[in-house]
Amino acid sequence: MRVTGICSIVVSLAFAAAPSASAHHSFAAQFDSTKPITLEGTVTKVEWRNPHIWVYLDVTDDDGVVTSWECEGGAPNALTRLGWGSQTLRLGSTLEIQGYLARNGTNTCNARTWIYEGRTVFAGEASDGGPVPE
Amino acid sequence: MRNASLVVAGSVTMAAALTVSLLALSPAFAQRAVYERNVVLTEPPEPDGTPVPRTADGRADLSGVWNKAIHQNTALPVEPLPFTPEGLKAFNDVAIIVDPTARCILPGVPRVNNSPYPMQIMQMPDRVVFVYEYMHNFRVIYTDGRGHRESWEPSLMGDSIGRWDGDTLVIDTVNLTDRTRLDDHGNVHSDALHVIERWRRISANELWYEATIDDPKYYTEPWTTGYVIPLAPAGWEIMEYACTDNNKDMYDGHLQPGSLSGSGRDGTALATPPIPRE
Repeated sequence: MRVTGICSIVVSLAFAAAPSASAHHSFAAQFDSTKPITLEGTVTKVEWRNPHIWVYLDVTDDDGVVTSWECEGGAPNALTRLGWGSQTLRLGSTLEIQGYLARNGTNTCNARTWIYEGRTVFAGEASDGGPVPE
Repeated sequence: MRNASLVVAGSVTMAAALTVSLLALSPAFAQRAVYERNVVLTEPPEPDGTPVPRTADGRADLSGVWNKAIHQNTALPVEPLPFTPEGLKAFNDVAIIVDPTARCILPGVPRVNNSPYPMQIMQMPDRVVFVYEYMHNFRVIYTDGRGHRESWEPSLMGDSIGRWDGDTLVIDTVNLTDRTRLDDHGNVHSDALHVIERWRRISANELWYEATIDDPKYYTEPWTTGYVIPLAPAGWEIMEYACTDNNKDMYDGHLQPGSLSGSGRDGTALATPPIPRE
């Protein structure tokens, strides 16, 4: 048996035990892995629709200025298998997202790690080519 | 590293149970993880020893829900690929073209099998039906001896016929367009592509999948890729995964040209980068 690609092997081992939550239009085409961002805001809308969910946040800065953001999450099918539902993130609740900015410079991000009610929530996986949450 | 067991309140138990049950029901999954997800091979691994289910007529039964995974660069074990000049140009041009699946074009063959999400195989005496969660897609492969269709126009999924070679289902696909790619990495094919797939259940839990890429316009000789597709955990069913319901990346203009593999051809690779340009 010939196994190639050390990187692939490491990634596979890391994620072997969990259901797939991967993206089909994967990370690199839309988002920039050199531009990480952390957002903490109030959930204003959740679009639980194919092909990926989108979560909308209002983020308030130190001067009280509110900026609206939208972040892409996993696919509804994969998230359902992970135990998520459309009501998992409640409107008006506080959510922290660690993700990466869109390449086109808008207030858009790809969420890799979700921190919600004190827990780190997994909602994606590395096989879309995006960075792996540590 | 990801933290699969820490999930939002109300979902913790379910997700944890899912993970635990996956491991408990199929210990082979955990032990054999190296090839089960995302790794491309050149020959089948040693089966896990569980008996291959058989149909009433004694043939190996491929039926079941299989937990297909992304295999981003299916050419990895055989690189560098034997490009023709035209093929190399097409491969380099991937950098300036948006991936067709990002625009919800059907993935084509063989990419439908290296794309994510489970599939269900239903084996019958005269045909084998593949039901793919990814893009709500399907294939009906007749194994009754018929030949390729005479009058059909080229299509994204092409024209496939099957035959049994012992316990191996051999699918022959022609009449494809050049509008799809072979995988997320951006490996390319022309409209002369002829794909030979070989599907063999090597144990109760494992399918061995091979695809030979025979494309004389783009490659000077055929090349073959393969991987294991593990059986899905008990109880898994095919769900809906549609591409165009709310595809904001497409509607809002986020899509960028290039590979989908994460290599992006921009140096930010997790996956192996493409071979150097000439």
